[in-house]
Amino acid sequence: MIKHILTLVWNKKRTNMLMMLEIFLAFLILFSVFTFAINFLRMYQSPLGFATRDALLVQLMLDDGMDSVAHLEMRQQLRREVELLPAVQTTSFNSGVTMFSGSMWTTSNNDNGFLLETCIYHADEQFAAAASLNLVEGRWPEVSDQNNKYAPVVINRRLREAYFGDKPVIDSIIMLDGEKKIMGVVDHFKYQGEFETERPLTFFFLPLHDENLRTLYVRLKPNTPPEFEEELNKTIARVTRRRDFVISSVDADRVRQSRQVWVPMITALLICGFLILNVALGLFGVLYYNISKRRAEIGLRRALGATQGAITRQFTAEVMVVAAAGMLLAILIAVQFPLLAVFDVPAENFYWSILATTILILLVVLICAFSPSRQAAAVQPAVALHEE
Amino acid sequence: MIKLENINKVYRTDTIETLALNTINLAVAQGEFLSIMGPSGCGKSTLLNIMGLIDEPSGGRIEVAGQVVANYNSKATARFRNQHLGFIFQSFHLINDLSVIDNVELPLLYRQVSGKERRQLAQVALEQVGLKNRMSHFPGQLSGGQKQRVAIARSIVGRPNIILADEPTGNLDSVMGNEIMDILLRLNAEDGATIVMVTHDESMARRTHRLVRLFDGSQVQ
Ligand SMILES: Nc1ncnc2c1ncn2[C@@H]1O[C@H](COP(=O)(O)OP(=O)(O)OP(=O)(O)O)[C@@H](O)[C@H]1O
Ligand SMILES: [Mg+2]
Repeated sequence: MIKHILTLVWNKKRTNMLMMLEIFLAFLILFSVFTFAINFLRMYQSPLGFATRDALLVQLMLDDGMDSVAHLEMRQQLRREVELLPAVQTTSFNSGVTMFSGSMWTTSNNDNGFLLETCIYHADEQFAAAASLNLVEGRWPEVSDQNNKYAPVVINRRLREAYFGDKPVIDSIIMLDGEKKIMGVVDHFKYQGEFETERPLTFFFLPLHDENLRTLYVRLKPNTPPEFEEELNKTIARVTRRRDFVISSVDADRVRQSRQVWVPMITALLICGFLILNVALGLFGVLYYNISKRRAEIGLRRALGATQGAITRQFTAEVMVVAAAGMLLAILIAVQFPLLAVFDVPAENFYWSILATTILILLVVLICAFSPSRQAAAVQPAVALHEE
Repeated sequence: MIKLENINKVYRTDTIETLALNTINLAVAQGEFLSIMGPSGCGKSTLLNIMGLIDEPSGGRIEVAGQVVANYNSKATARFRNQHLGFIFQSFHLINDLSVIDNVELPLLYRQVSGKERRQLAQVALEQVGLKNRMSHFPGQLSGGQKQRVAIARSIVGRPNIILADEPTGNLDSVMGNEIMDILLRLNAEDGATIVMVTHDESMARRTHRLVRLFDGSQVQ
């Protein structure tokens, strides 16, 4: 029977070619969108690595003329006064490059052929505790570490994996803006957003008098009401003697940032849904037409002893063979992406996407082929034969 | 072998109701070669279809090989058609997308027969109708008479014990027609096949055991 089906498909190659082409193209389009979606969803799945709930971010505006003593005093006072507020758990000063700010700081160092490329995040000694970072190795530096021979840094796991592999990293010295000593490794820190592909990252520590520390991360006690912002606002205005600072909720920033990916992704998936629907309807129409044209053949086969089930199976199988040929061709192209590694996307995402596309198309084709086949197989042989 | 009792067949269309068969009572014995004659539209093909279990009568009772036919869509009926019945249709009904040999193999496809054996049996059947050299042609490349012979080869390839032939010699010249008739007679005599044949040719009918005449859906002889 298999040979018979292949013979039939082959003998009708001209009509089948078009259907194969349609399946082929639909496969590639779906595959692209699925890869895109799977890629983003898998990024989304990996943890952010820091607390966004019960956290506020204050972008401070500072007078230009301040010297480092004035900076230090102002920050010390700010920290003291803010932390005295009953709703506040702890605070941390960051540079202007903060979570969800849309900006990043990268640096690279080519030291004796050892190229190190990393993002830089500036923070103070309280940041790990304030943002609930998850340190998987070592520890977060303290104020006293800033006076050591080598300035302390903390790296993320991604950097550790990319540049150190299995070698121990704690207390290693790396060249980044001078010699730095690695004191700890954080698990994740996706400060660009939930859909970020994590890149190698290094935390630098700035002393409190550094003028770059322009952002204050304020960690609140759980369930602090939004009205608290008012209180914080007053305190900051009093200490900095300015009113042009901005307070935002870190969680709201996260949602806003993610929306930039969600919206196009859902749009693309919707378009894809329409495409699939379109392909399905087209396929259904074509198959319905093709099969109804073969009613006499069905009548004949039934007269020669084919059961209804055999007819349904045969006609469905014919369509599946054509669809499989189209899909196989498309898969041959699709696997080139992970094999040639042209995009910075994990190979398994492509394979998942191929699997998802294959299953979806098979399902659509199966439904579109099965129901007209079944319907046509149910006619009385003599009636079907009479129609020719 | 085949027993029809009070068979009626009514065709209803939107405008007209045709009584294609009117109270047919007919018994065909095992090994009998029966011919049916009658003017065009008198119900010959309809009668043959009903005997072949591919059309359901509007009323009456059919017994084939000792069994009353109840469900026309069952697997058992399908198997019965496949194992016991061989059809030669008036309009051939070859599948245009299959080569001659693939067309002839069709009945064996629905049996447990290996591909090799199918091919061999089909070749033998084609040889019998003198078409061995047209095996890989497609029906579109054949003349009417050649198509007829392919249809005959297909009907005999499975060695059925009942052959229902609807004007098997209608498109053939008298030489070829006689050859086909010889094949049918041989199947009847040597293999004991029961044959019911519709024909317009008195001389062909005379070579069979018995003749039944139809007129306007009724048996007149
Ligand atoms: N499917 C159908 N629907 C409606 N009427 C039909 C159908 N099939 C046959 N008929 C009618 O039933 C009658 C008998 O038809 P049938 O095909 O049995 O004739 P026939 O004796 O085989 O004629 P011919 O010698 O021309 O082949 C005709 O009047 C025909 O119009
Ligand atoms: Mg007829």
